[in-house]
Amino acid sequence: MEKIRERAATLLAEGVVTLVLGYEEGTKRPRPLFCRNSESARKLIFDSRCIHNLAVYLTKKELVGKDRFAVIAPIATLRSIMQLYVENQLSEDKLLVLTVDPSGELRELVTFEDIAGYVEQFELKRGEREQEILSKIDEMSREERWKFWMEEMSHCFKCYACRSACPLCYCSKCVVEVNRPQWINPWPAPLANMEWHINRAMHMVGRCTACGACGDACPVGIPIDLITRKMMEDMAPEFGYIPGQPAKKGNALSTWKLDDREQFIR
Amino acid sequence: MSSNTDFEPKIIAFVCNWCTYAGADLTGTSRLKYATNVKIVRFPCTGRIDFLLLLKSFAQGADGIIVSGCHPNDCHYTSGNFHARRRWIAFRSILDLMGVDIRRIQYSWVSAAEGSKWADLVNHTVADIRSLGPYQEYQKIADYLEKGGYHGED
Amino acid sequence: MSKIGVFICHCGENISATVDVERVAREVGGMEGVAHAIDYKYMCSDPGQTFIKEAVKKYNLDGVVVGACSPRMHEPTFRRACAEAGLNPYLCEMANLREHCSWVHEKSEETTEKAIDLVKMLVQKVKKNKPLDSIKVPVTKRALVIGGGIAGIQASLDIANTGHKVILVERDPSIGGHMSQLSETFPTLDCSQCILTPRMVEVAQHPNIKLYTYAELESLEGFIGNFTAKIRLKAKSVDYSTCTGCGACIQKCPVKKIPSEFNAGLGTRTAIYVPFPQAVPNKPVIDRVNCNYYKRGACKICEKTCQVGSIQWDREDEIVTEEVGAVVLATGFDVKGADFFPEYGYGKYKDVLTGLQFERMASASGPTFGEIRRPSDGVIPKKIVFIACAGSRDPAKGIPYCSKICCMYTAKHAMLYQHKVHDGESTVFYMDIRAGGKNYEEFVRRAIEEDTVNYVRGRVARVYEKDGKLIVKGVDTLLGGQQVEIEADMVVLATAGVANCGSEQLAQKLHVSYDPYHFFAEAHPKLKPVETNTAGIFLAGACQAPKDIPETVGMASGAAVKVAALFSNDELVREPLVAVVNRLAPPLYSTCVGCFMCETACPYNAIEHEDIRGRDGSLIKTIAKVNEGLCQGCGTCVAFCRSKSIDIQGYTHEQVYAEVMSLLND
Ligand SMILES: Cc1cc2nc3c(=O)[nH]c(=O)nc-3n(C[C@H](O)[C@H](O)[C@H](O)COP(=O)(O)OP(=O)(O)OC[C@H]3O[C@@H](n4cnc5c(N)ncnc54)[C@H](O)[C@@H]3O)c2cc1C
Ligand code: SF4
Ligand code: SF4
Repeated sequence: MEKIRERAATLLAEGVVTLVLGYEEGTKRPRPLFCRNSESARKLIFDSRCIHNLAVYLTKKELVGKDRFAVIAPIATLRSIMQLYVENQLSEDKLLVLTVDPSGELRELVTFEDIAGYVEQFELKRGEREQEILSKIDEMSREERWKFWMEEMSHCFKCYACRSACPLCYCSKCVVEVNRPQWINPWPAPLANMEWHINRAMHMVGRCTACGACGDACPVGIPIDLITRKMMEDMAPEFGYIPGQPAKKGNALSTWKLDDREQFIR
Repeated sequence: MSSNTDFEPKIIAFVCNWCTYAGADLTGTSRLKYATNVKIVRFPCTGRIDFLLLLKSFAQGADGIIVSGCHPNDCHYTSGNFHARRRWIAFRSILDLMGVDIRRIQYSWVSAAEGSKWADLVNHTVADIRSLGPYQEYQKIADYLEKGGYHGED
Repeated sequence: MSKIGVFICHCGENISATVDVERVAREVGGMEGVAHAIDYKYMCSDPGQTFIKEAVKKYNLDGVVVGACSPRMHEPTFRRACAEAGLNPYLCEMANLREHCSWVHEKSEETTEKAIDLVKMLVQKVKKNKPLDSIKVPVTKRALVIGGGIAGIQASLDIANTGHKVILVERDPSIGGHMSQLSETFPTLDCSQCILTPRMVEVAQHPNIKLYTYAELESLEGFIGNFTAKIRLKAKSVDYSTCTGCGACIQKCPVKKIPSEFNAGLGTRTAIYVPFPQAVPNKPVIDRVNCNYYKRGACKICEKTCQVGSIQWDREDEIVTEEVGAVVLATGFDVKGADFFPEYGYGKYKDVLTGLQFERMASASGPTFGEIRRPSDGVIPKKIVFIACAGSRDPAKGIPYCSKICCMYTAKHAMLYQHKVHDGESTVFYMDIRAGGKNYEEFVRRAIEEDTVNYVRGRVARVYEKDGKLIVKGVDTLLGGQQVEIEADMVVLATAGVANCGSEQLAQKLHVSYDPYHFFAEAHPKLKPVETNTAGIFLAGACQAPKDIPETVGMASGAAVKVAALFSNDELVREPLVAVVNRLAPPLYSTCVGCFMCETACPYNAIEHEDIRGRDGSLIKTIAKVNEGLCQGCGTCVAFCRSKSIDIQGYTHEQVYAEVMSLLND
């Protein structure tokens, strides 16, 4: 932890970066900290409780501006950073990554190639919670799945916290705000909720890195992260796109292969 | 489930201009008969078909949907149908995860030369949807709090 | 509110027999925004179009829906009528009441209701239509012709004679195609070479034609008027700028036993070779697969013989780039060969030949100098059997179509045989005689009546060898299925005409469609026989379906006229049905966030990057931009874009949304 503070302070003091995105102690759990001078860098912490995906701030032009900045990133954040890079949203000369590897060493990753090489060592695994709910869903009949999600979604009141938390929801105008035509009604209602979540999942195909930020953000606890996560798990072998891994440009849905398999087209 | 014998399913077909639309034209020129339940919306290419349109169709009361375009390698635009195929692979699995009845969407390749395949496709789909009955499950949620929304009228 | 005019066509009785057209007009007339709705017997007729034009003016319409036949048929007609009345043509849409309704349903309440729905949905769409202006693109006035058979030769000459440049690409070392292999041609029996060779020479000497032989298309990019072709010039290993075509090398080449493609395998050639004496260009290439030097690294005899030092051993394939405005595809056809006819003993018995082989044998310049002799022992056959429809019209063989030329050339072959072997006896087994064409039937009758060819209607079941004779077993269906057995000295199969090898890959390179048998598909079976579905690419000759020479030449001239018409203007006017990325006021400039996923999705590389800069020149953001010349309007990018920043004119989000919503509204 001390090493991170030191390094952050040096980077700021030497003017290598003008901003360090990291974490500080919060009331319940660590919260994001934006350090602009070496003074505030002393407040930085970094441990296993630091899971807030800071990549979400990297596309906010007001925040990161034109200067170079550093971000303190656990593995999930690194995956998001890689995906943002693949989608032309980040450039190397503006970003520097600080992370701590499993042996406790401070790592400074400067190029996307570095990040990719680092990310590659970690496997994307389901946690206990994900495993539990997803295997429960797996066993349901179609009707039961429909009931399950209808019930879950009846709590959704369209606060769009999921959208704000997701580093990959960086559109300047989201489809729910498009009103010619109004594809999805913005108010909470069973249909509008269902359409919103199906839409969100479709937009995440081949992109979701399963960081879980959306699920964490949901104030009513709908396991929406599992929809996009499941899609990621199912589609990655299908299309060969593992989000957050060093991928070629393009996306699972904007590319194709002659031998894409399906059994449902007659 | 309701008795289905006198249920006339509402089916909407999303087809590409170059293969399936032309194929359906050929069905006409060949005077082959099929059920009246299906209405065609013309697109330049299956690549143009937005998945949201499929969702909107169910919301508007469609009991079934046909999506059809050129066979692989035959796309007028060379690869719109390959893009569409991927899109449907993903879309179908999302719908299935959410519990949407994916049996109600029939995907097909119908070429400009397959007038009789189009007639068969329509007739089969109508029969399939008739046996599944009306898609009440979805329409029930669509009826709730949605009326009065913006439906394309200024 | 919109002022839409709705015009319902009876199409004589084609629509009105099953659809209550008056009710359609009445009900649609009551819709919000519909200012005028009528029905009429023939909307596409002059008076029908006049109704539309007058209504546009009288009611000041801002949209028109014609409920009639398929828009694939008459959309241009009605759009033009609207334009003539001063309404933007893209404010006119058609509801397909004939092909998609009246012709496929019985007369009933439901049929009429469906028709009403179909019209309503187009009314809702047209309310969202926007006036569009056509796009103008410059035209490069040079044509690319692929394939140098008679089709490609004719097309090239015709285009070149209109004063435009032509690039002719031929896969083989010489132009000429199948016609150069023929002996004499039906229905006149004039010598094929004699009529073809002058044209080949004309091609070589024409100032407007650039000829690439031993070359193939590598790739084609771009669009009508503006194609970029990359052509692979296969290494000939001979420098044509110095080679005089003396042929000394050919004489000396020690590898002499290579089956000659030109002689359909009946003769042989050397490794350095000119395919036939009248070849154009008449200069050799080295066949690297068979050449001793390339195989084993030693020989180089030709190099020693060559007086002018033209042999170039380490010559590599070369890629040249040509800018062209139009393409004519003339890659011809092929005939089914060996292994396809095990029951007829082809490939097993030396004296079972294909028609093409017989053609070479009958040719004065062929391997037997025009004498009909058995390949096995060189003896002149006294009894010969011709089998028509070998493979053709045989769904079991996967070729249900008629190859069209075989009836005629079989009659020709039998006739040539009778002329050459006066005491010979020839029998033709046929399914039907298809001799449609000027002087064709007369030609066949001459074979039967004057040249006493024995025509047997029936199928041959099997050909087998017994005591040096070929036993042909068949049935005579005219004689009630009686078994026939003929002891023949030679059997000739009129094998099916099939698509040329590689045609599927070529079609995919060019983005043109092809039929199930891999022949290239014309844009319309009747009205657009030389066009393809890809603008600017035309068809000529047997690459579209097997056909004879007169038809091939006619088609080639047709394609040439299409090219000339395209080249008659400096600019081409294109339909504006292309994608556009939205542009908004600052600070957003566009909802596009520059993810450029559309760029990877577009099949035509039509998405470009556009930098939005502030007044001080600093980069604000980079967004997508569509190149109107390249965009073909598929809309793949539209369905992909998450922020709905890109839309396609003519099928906008608003338009299709309104359509879908209307269709299911009640
Ligand atoms: C046995 C036989 C007898 C016949 N007798 C008669 C007759 O008596 N009278 C008559 O009217 N018709 C006759 N025909 C038909 C006649 O041969 C055809 O009508 C004619 O050859 C068609 O010309 P084409 O140029 O379209 O094709 P082709 O003659 O097949 O020429 C195609 C050319 O394209 C070239 N090519 C192919 N692929 C490529 C590629 N990828 N890139 C570049 N070049 C390529 C080929 O090398 C060839 O030179 C006969 C046919 C056969 C098989
Ligand atoms: S138009 Fe859409 S898909 Fe294309 S770059 Fe912009 S946001 Fe991405
Ligand atoms: S519509 Fe879009 S994807 Fe299709 S050709 Fe045009 S720019 Fe490319």
